[in-house]
Amino acid sequence: MTGEEGPAVEVVGLRVEFGAVEAVAGVDLRVEAGHAVALLGRNGAGKSTTMRVLAGVVPPNGGLARVCGHDVLRDPIAVRRLVGYCPDVGGLVPRATPWEHLQLSARLRRLDHWEPRARDLLERFELADVAHRVTAGFSHGMSRRLSVLLAALHEPAVLLLDEPFDGVDPVGVEATMEIVDDARARGAAVLVSTHLRDLAVRACGEVTVLRGGARVATVPAAAMAGEEGARAYRALLD
Amino acid sequence: MPTARSWTEWRDAVADLGHLLRFRAATVRRRRTTAVAGAVLLALTAGSAVVPAWVDRAPEEVDRVAGLLPAYLLALVALSVTTAVASGGGREVLARDAAAVHPVSPLTDHLGALVLAPLSAAWLLQTWFLLGAVALVVGPHPGRLAAAQSVALLWVACATACGQVVGWLGEWLRRGPRGVLVVRSLIGAVLLVVGAVGLLPDLRTGLVAGPARWTAEVLRGDGPAALAVVLLAPALAVLVVAGGYAARLAARRVPRDESRLESRSYPARPSAASDLAALVRTDRGSIWRSVPVRRGTVFLALAPGVVALAYPLTWNTLVILPGLVVSGCVLLFGVNVWALDGRGLLWRETLPVSPDVTLLARGWVLAELLLGAGLVTVVLGAVRAGLPAGAELVAVGAALVVVTGQALSGGLRWSMGSPYAVDLRSARATPAPPLVMVGYSTRLALATTATSLLLAAFAEAGRPDRVLVAAAVLLAWSAVRIAGVRRRWRDPVQRARVVATVTA
Repeated sequence: MTGEEGPAVEVVGLRVEFGAVEAVAGVDLRVEAGHAVALLGRNGAGKSTTMRVLAGVVPPNGGLARVCGHDVLRDPIAVRRLVGYCPDVGGLVPRATPWEHLQLSARLRRLDHWEPRARDLLERFELADVAHRVTAGFSHGMSRRLSVLLAALHEPAVLLLDEPFDGVDPVGVEATMEIVDDARARGAAVLVSTHLRDLAVRACGEVTVLRGGARVATVPAAAMAGEEGARAYRALLD
Repeated sequence: MPTARSWTEWRDAVADLGHLLRFRAATVRRRRTTAVAGAVLLALTAGSAVVPAWVDRAPEEVDRVAGLLPAYLLALVALSVTTAVASGGGREVLARDAAAVHPVSPLTDHLGALVLAPLSAAWLLQTWFLLGAVALVVGPHPGRLAAAQSVALLWVACATACGQVVGWLGEWLRRGPRGVLVVRSLIGAVLLVVGAVGLLPDLRTGLVAGPARWTAEVLRGDGPAALAVVLLAPALAVLVVAGGYAARLAARRVPRDESRLESRSYPARPSAASDLAALVRTDRGSIWRSVPVRRGTVFLALAPGVVALAYPLTWNTLVILPGLVVSGCVLLFGVNVWALDGRGLLWRETLPVSPDVTLLARGWVLAELLLGAGLVTVVLGAVRAGLPAGAELVAVGAALVVVTGQALSGGLRWSMGSPYAVDLRSARATPAPPLVMVGYSTRLALATTATSLLLAAFAEAGRPDRVLVAAAVLLAWSAVRIAGVRRRWRDPVQRARVVATVTA
């Protein structure tokens, strides 16, 4: 952690445009340290773009996005050190092995004695057997699990998981849940974007719903649980 | 053989190819530029087939070119075969992943590869050379010229179709038991034959004494053009059909080398000593673990050198070779260099490292590959080139370094300006759409050939000082342009555009 005062993630009036398309149109978001927030919404609601801004990949066109007090535009390298990001698509170098991915991340983040934790994570995500195999031949689920693992390696202050459960088997889902719980327990902020409402409710304490690139509601996760939660969620989407 | 069914399949394949080509045409980004480029290519083809016939020609020049016609004809066959074999069956109309959800038959795939084969600078240049040579030899006789060019075009089509047959058969063998070993052995045997042909004049004469020599006689007006058309047209049909059957054979087998490579393990190595070293190591892995890039680089580095071993070149001619090799190598992936990471670029962009270091690492591995391939060619070519004059040695070294700088600068600029989302796993994939690749290769060929000719001219004049000055100026210009790429890569908005496009 950085010791900065204020929320771990602070997004105010965020705007992102891709040409004529406004992908994010004024999102406000706040995640405190030690908390997990789920981002829900339909396709194109702006969830992944918001994640990419916070990961330092996409520069915003307007508004403010801060990670542990660091502006994503002004101090992108510091932001990247603080963030662990699991992208929604792919996210793996096809001709590198999982171990080489871990090695590169550890090197660029100046991690010492990272190998035991890396081995432990590989075991937990049942990827130890393929740790030295190139990722090009991985199944979608294996790739997702490795992406979550890579995001978690350096115990980031902010964990951004974009569709971490997509196509993942029950073992991978449980391992991801553990990663989220561990992160919260050590005081990290977690942001999970997913279409799987039930898993979002399980993983997070709060849910933010986006629609048309803007936030429409932030509610306790329990309000989105079960049949009643499904109805409430649907009402927010329409 | 159930002929009716076969006919239906071919008819469906032609119809499907039409749909795929229309789909590809609809996805072209810059329609006006593409239309202009297409018109320019057609104009150049028509010009090369007609204009040389009406220029002033010295009789000895006509005799010299007429004597080279069999070699031109054979070169087209060799080019078509090597291109089809190296690219695993030729170019694909639709990328493999995109095509996987559609019922695209091997016949459609084969016809698509045939249609796309001309969209290569090497194919176009060889064809223009042949048409130009025929026009020069025939002279200003419209009737005879039209007949001779018809025969020449039929030969070009036959050579292309023949290349596809060999390409598909090569792919069928490669995908079979011990396929890689079998194909490598066959390529080795062919190289030995080429070497033997170069060493033994009788064999050399024998090689060109077949259809190429007879067709060349027809092109010179010493044989009946009508008979040549009657023989070549059915030969073309047979080759196209044979290619279709070979494509079917290949399609029944799994692409072994790709699947083997995608499940290969690599032992862990100690951590890199610096950020740059870590990124360079990752980028090297992306290059050398890629079947098409590795195969293409080795082929481009060795093939011209082997030919130079068989047919010794002078040092002044050797100056040209690095430009050819380096241009070919950068076209394998270097013109869309960020696509090497595929969707992994998104993850790499979240790593806490300066964009300068990322760009430096990518540029470094590209430069070392280009320089290495060019060096292998020069060393092989030098074996039988005799002792060089000082200026010649300087010119060859300078050419190698300068064309590497030019190719690196072009590759990085195009990668920044026009990135594409491509899957470089397949040997059949190209880093950019085929027509764009023609543009890139033509620009590279012009720049590197002009550079090489300039340096060769200074060397021939015995002026190593001028060689060095010219090389320094050209290298400085490449450095300025690479610095421009660096400025653009530092801009997070431009970088995000590249990342978004490549990972789309």
